[in-house]
Amino acid sequence: MTFTERMLKIDRRIIFLVIGLCTLLPLLYPVGLPIKISPEVRGVYDHIESLPEGSVFLLSLDFDPASKPELHPQAISLLRHAFRKNLRVIAMTLWVSGTGMADQVVTQVAREMGKDSGKDYVFLGWSPGGTAVIINMGQDLYGAFPADYSGKPTKGLSVLQGVASLRDVNYAVSLGAGNPGVEAWYVFGKDKYKFELGGGCTGVMAPGLYPLLRSGQINGLIGGLRGAAEYEILIDQKGKAVAGMDAQSATHLAIIVLVIMCNLFYFSSRNRARQQGG
Amino acid sequence: MNFFRRQVPLLITLITGIVFAAQYYVPHPASEQMLTSVTKWLQIIGGFALVLGVSSLFHVHAVKIRRKEVGWGYSFVLYVGMLGTIAVGLWSNGKEAIDGTMTAFGWVYNFMMVPLQGTMFAILAFFIASAAYRSFRARSREAAVLLIAAVIVMMGRVPLGEYLIPISGDLSQWILNVLNASVRRAILIGVSLGTVALSIKIIFGMERSYLGGGKE
Repeated sequence: MTFTERMLKIDRRIIFLVIGLCTLLPLLYPVGLPIKISPEVRGVYDHIESLPEGSVFLLSLDFDPASKPELHPQAISLLRHAFRKNLRVIAMTLWVSGTGMADQVVTQVAREMGKDSGKDYVFLGWSPGGTAVIINMGQDLYGAFPADYSGKPTKGLSVLQGVASLRDVNYAVSLGAGNPGVEAWYVFGKDKYKFELGGGCTGVMAPGLYPLLRSGQINGLIGGLRGAAEYEILIDQKGKAVAGMDAQSATHLAIIVLVIMCNLFYFSSRNRARQQGG
Repeated sequence: MNFFRRQVPLLITLITGIVFAAQYYVPHPASEQMLTSVTKWLQIIGGFALVLGVSSLFHVHAVKIRRKEVGWGYSFVLYVGMLGTIAVGLWSNGKEAIDGTMTAFGWVYNFMMVPLQGTMFAILAFFIASAAYRSFRARSREAAVLLIAAVIVMMGRVPLGEYLIPISGDLSQWILNVLNASVRRAILIGVSLGTVALSIKIIFGMERSYLGGGKE
């Protein structure tokens, strides 16, 4: 077996080790390269920034623990921004397995920002039905969620004063890791109940949501850890996303180098085979 | 019996299909009230679907354990995990924390489910890297185009890539905003037209596979 053939059949544990080191080392020794703000992330930031105090902001945390590393930092940044702007925050989830995590992040950020449940924010929790929940909220919010996650009746909560349905929401952002997520909020929510919508998603999902962005169906998109890092910079509170960008940089570069190497070996072995054949 | 098995479901599908397709364009309060009622039904049915899904999962794995099929041990682990979580969940009244104190259910969620799901997702990075090395080869012109686009987007999406090749950020944005969005939109339009065609076939009874293939 020649060197190129051996390299093409390299033990995958070596690749695992390279990726492991590329993730670990930058986390231990961060470089802190500058991060450029993209227009799609700025779209979400600018819209929240333009909302007057007391506006209703709905954040739907439509993800489960599998997508926590990418979407959790997005949720933290958005909540910090909304609370800093004194918006009335309605948080919820369409993913049953994400309920506990969503409750924790909302409670944690609210406590950090000195906000009270029922007065400044409410966490509605999860309700069965998937996309039907969105339509139900559009028709009657109190019918879809008669009580919040802690069991308090939603009717009479000061944070929901003047809010009867999704039509009274000024801005909604869905942080989605799949279906139901951003697309469902557009199709079943924004299209009928006419509120402004933004999105956040995992890195692999982002390219699929660009058609919605370009057509104005969503006014901004926070894509993956990079999007979360950009948002952390915009609100001037660096966190886990910015810290993780060096690791992501190194891993991307490692994969690019591996792909280039594999192609070099591939062409080299193909040329040799041709020469031997000819 | 055939009337109740075939004609009645077809009639219900026809009427509800036409009524709710029309409902979208009728903003009258009566029409909106009807939508409100039906979405409440949908939520209730969604709850039942969850119960149905769990019971079906129990049934499938019970059969595997009883027959001692290959990998029945995993089914046993699933049983223990599910029954244990349900028991702990009921005991904790479905709450992860009460007055700031973590319940047993919260412990299962935070220290078992969250790390397990996170680990599963994180492992993907290693497998993707290995798969990219083995299969991402420029075997044809199309594959070469895909390869170059992927490298540009990967460079442009991280600070190190933009630092090494400053133009990669703008190039990556252009690929995502123009090439990717237009192709995705074409696919979306195709899928949507297909969905409309299938819906019409179901509403008018031309597509009946949802009724099941039982004997008439």
